[in-house]
Amino acid sequence: MCQPNKNIYLPNLATIEAIVDETPDVRTLRLVFQDEAVRDSFSFRAGQFAEYSAFGSGESTFCIASPPTRKGYIECCFRGVGRVTEALRGLEVGDTVGVRGPYGNSFPIEEFFGKSLVFIAGGIALPPLRTVIWNCLDLRDKFKDITIVYGARSESDLVYKRELAEWAERDDVRLVKCVDPGGAGPDFDGKVGFVPTVLEEAAPSAENTIALVCGPPIMIKFTLPVLERLGFGDDSIYTTLENRMKCGVGKCGRCNVGNVYVCKDGPVFTAREVKAMSQEF
Amino acid sequence: MPQIITEENLRKLVDLLVKEKKLVVGPKKSGSMVLYEPLGTGSELNLDTLPRRSSKELYFPVCEEILRFRKEGGVVQVDDVDRSRFPETVLIGAPPCDAASPSILDAVFSWDYHDEFYLERRKKGTIIGIACTKCDDACFCSAVGLAPDAQQGSDLFLTPLKGGGFSCSAVTEKGEKLVAAHAPLFSEAASAEPVEFPAQGMEKLDLVMIKQWLSGHFEDPLWESISDICIGCGACAFICPACHCFDINDEGSPDNGVRRKHWDACGFSKFTNHASGHNPRDVQNKRYRNRIMHKFKYYDDKFGKTLCTGCGRCVRACPVGIDIAEILNTINGK
Repeated sequence: MCQPNKNIYLPNLATIEAIVDETPDVRTLRLVFQDEAVRDSFSFRAGQFAEYSAFGSGESTFCIASPPTRKGYIECCFRGVGRVTEALRGLEVGDTVGVRGPYGNSFPIEEFFGKSLVFIAGGIALPPLRTVIWNCLDLRDKFKDITIVYGARSESDLVYKRELAEWAERDDVRLVKCVDPGGAGPDFDGKVGFVPTVLEEAAPSAENTIALVCGPPIMIKFTLPVLERLGFGDDSIYTTLENRMKCGVGKCGRCNVGNVYVCKDGPVFTAREVKAMSQEF
Repeated sequence: MPQIITEENLRKLVDLLVKEKKLVVGPKKSGSMVLYEPLGTGSELNLDTLPRRSSKELYFPVCEEILRFRKEGGVVQVDDVDRSRFPETVLIGAPPCDAASPSILDAVFSWDYHDEFYLERRKKGTIIGIACTKCDDACFCSAVGLAPDAQQGSDLFLTPLKGGGFSCSAVTEKGEKLVAAHAPLFSEAASAEPVEFPAQGMEKLDLVMIKQWLSGHFEDPLWESISDICIGCGACAFICPACHCFDINDEGSPDNGVRRKHWDACGFSKFTNHASGHNPRDVQNKRYRNRIMHKFKYYDDKFGKTLCTGCGRCVRACPVGIDIAEILNTINGK
């Protein structure tokens, strides 16, 4: 894992190959490593994260939002809200960013083979599940039913709109798209309601099914009881925590929830593991 | 027969080490304070006062460069720091509460991923610890498993003798080598009676019991009662020999700049603040709880060590008078 004498804070350089504005303030960068050896050797698992740098501004932590089944590039997706993310937003195609990683644990996708999957995401928290969604769609015959429940505050806050359209058209995916009350435009073709409520109405079967949840703390809080009512056990529910991080490698002491280091022990946890943690989210 | 070194020869040892181009750091008068600073001669070594700040920054500097970046002709270059240029160091005159600090911090900087900035400095560092006779009301090293004459972390350990001078024990191979390389400064004595160490005011704490209590009391009225007065200034963390939290930031421009890691503190309000504005530790007592939990439970859970040497600096420095030893005593009594 760690080469002797290697500077663990040294990023690999990557070129921005494409930029997609998902919403007015959420952007996707597609990145290609400049060093051919890194391009060939870089491998990761769905759920892992990286430290992305805009040189001169610093580093920011995001999941790797593209699936490991798509080789040759990685993608990150972020909202421009701080010094680093604003600087990343200021970069153009062809510009260079730094990437350290991949870090953290991952979703045990092989353990999900032969099961149905329900993805539940809110707002900017779709990217951490999108890597898993595409990973699983690229291995579609390994899974039974795939349901995606995704909601955002308003229609314009929905990210990956092209892919939502693609998933909606596939007959091997059930997409339930929603926006909070007041967030729908006149032509909105999804549901209006909060994610937990919409999930309860959609009522996916819990039988032989894994639920993967990611969203703001308030969404998670109200979604877990719904999943429980639907019959999901705590070992069948996975989530990924998004704490503030700096080093990403268990040194800087900031991402811990109780004695759990999100960067090393996570970011992927089962609901059972989350419930056993000190409640400090 | 015990080996001894006179105070005169100890100062000569500093002179020799300086001549050997080693960076010799020890307690030194600096303005109105005594601080760990590079010594130019042995005469500057001040063994009378516990330095205001701990010695951990010799291995884990307050602020250090971890890489440089520049853009030339549109191409970004990142340059690593040449760690082979880190000097060989000798820390001299560190009491047990400081000498023990690296032996605690080695764990976090070397588990899984290796922080070569810290580890390279440690590899090139020798620690000459000295038994402590300077105990004051804030000291509690004995309560957390150390003692005024604890050798933990020292390569060579000096104990002040009643008749003057010090007895020396080489604790590690590094210590043995240092003695062997400067043998004429050391002599053997028929007997060496150490000075008496002042007793500390605080009883030994039951750290296992304290950890047990912490494990079951993440939520407890104690946290609010002890830490609502904390103003989050971070002084306790910045003078602590064991706090290791840091931040990473860039300075300069995208065309030419430097990335640094520098000390941070879990007491600061923005320490855990998410980009969304959500903060898991949104009030000061949650941040103070983390400080206690990290030192006496989490670090022990992860590495089997207590993240405190009982130096008492945080007790002396706290502007609102929070006394960690008193808090531990309270928990110990529960």
